[in-house]
Amino acid sequence: MRSSDAFENELTQLLPRLRRFAHTLSRHGADADDLTQATIERALRSRHQWQPGTRLDSWLYRIMRNLWIDTARARVRKEKHEAPEEEAQWIGEDPRDAIDASLELKRAMSAMERLPDEQREVVALILVEGFGYREVSEMLDLPIGTVSSRLVRGRTALLQLLGGTADG
Amino acid sequence: MVEDEKFFAWLDGELSPEEAARVEADVATDARLSRLADEHRAMTSGLRHAFGAIEARPVPDRLRIAIDRDEKVVSLAEARAVRAARKAPPVWAQMAALAATLAFGVFAGNAMSGMFTAGPSSPIEAEAGRLVASANLENALYAQLASAPVESGPRVGLTFRDKSGAICRTFEEQAASGLACREGGDWRIRSLFQAPEGQSTDYRMASGPDPQLMEAVDASIDGEPFDAAEEKAAAERGWK
Repeated sequence: MRSSDAFENELTQLLPRLRRFAHTLSRHGADADDLTQATIERALRSRHQWQPGTRLDSWLYRIMRNLWIDTARARVRKEKHEAPEEEAQWIGEDPRDAIDASLELKRAMSAMERLPDEQREVVALILVEGFGYREVSEMLDLPIGTVSSRLVRGRTALLQLLGGTADG
Repeated sequence: MVEDEKFFAWLDGELSPEEAARVEADVATDARLSRLADEHRAMTSGLRHAFGAIEARPVPDRLRIAIDRDEKVVSLAEARAVRAARKAPPVWAQMAALAATLAFGVFAGNAMSGMFTAGPSSPIEAEAGRLVASANLENALYAQLASAPVESGPRVGLTFRDKSGAICRTFEEQAASGLACREGGDWRIRSLFQAPEGQSTDYRMASGPDPQLMEAVDASIDGEPFDAAEEKAAAERGWK
């Protein structure tokens, strides 16, 4: 077996989790899969930078987060020059969303989208992906106190948006 | 009174056991904090459940293909490393190259029984003394994008420009893999390798592309293989 096979196998196994993280960051399913694909391509090109023995998942999440920051900035610049979009317009815009995204997921994605980027990424990594504060502070190169205070603000806003029960 | 950040750190299991015990005691005696803890637990669990649906779904093919495509490129890099390691080709390699040439003669002369004789299932045919792709393979080479593979029939792998400027594409057939380059409106067969014994019916499960094919690619490639966008653009230009 070639050494590259192990890397690719592990990457393949992490795809479902990477897609989940992409969905917590993105506006809709198609964007999330574009982000996942860009992350795979970047990871494969930069594989020599990954140190075997360290966590591949953290390394991939970091790549995805950086790509998302870059594209989110480009998107904001683009949208400033375009007519404002109705917020509800994207729901069902991608046929896959209409078919397979549950209402629950749409609600969750739309609530996450309302958070400022710096709160959204911390909420996604800690509350959804289950990383610890320390891991996230290393992944994002932020002091742990900053991670913690962004998390407080983000989850407090989410509670307002989503309510405190799973169905309500 | 517990400050916000400590309260949430407790909720997330981030405190030391001693600190956690202190916060827990405070929360237990504070109805407002108890309710807040319940609300946040429910909200977090709802959030995990909503996004958990993504993890449970099948991964779209295009994402798996992005990894598979790369495996071929890596094989090319490995083929290069192998070539670099042996500075001059040993005699056996020259013999193998000669044998390959002789084999073409055999196919073209239609003297061999089996799947490479001319017929509806053959990937190649002789035309005016040259070996070209048969109709089935030609269609695949012309129309197929590696980023959108098909369920059956020949599969196209890498696309690249060779040192003469022609566009070349690798393909995998049921029993063979090879390299074809665009020449004068045809896909001319440059190399053809029979699949190892026992893999002919299950070529998709084979462990990556044939190393001989990757060496053939490396010997003729100019630069790097096309990525998905370059491949698509080349298809739109009619492989010119």
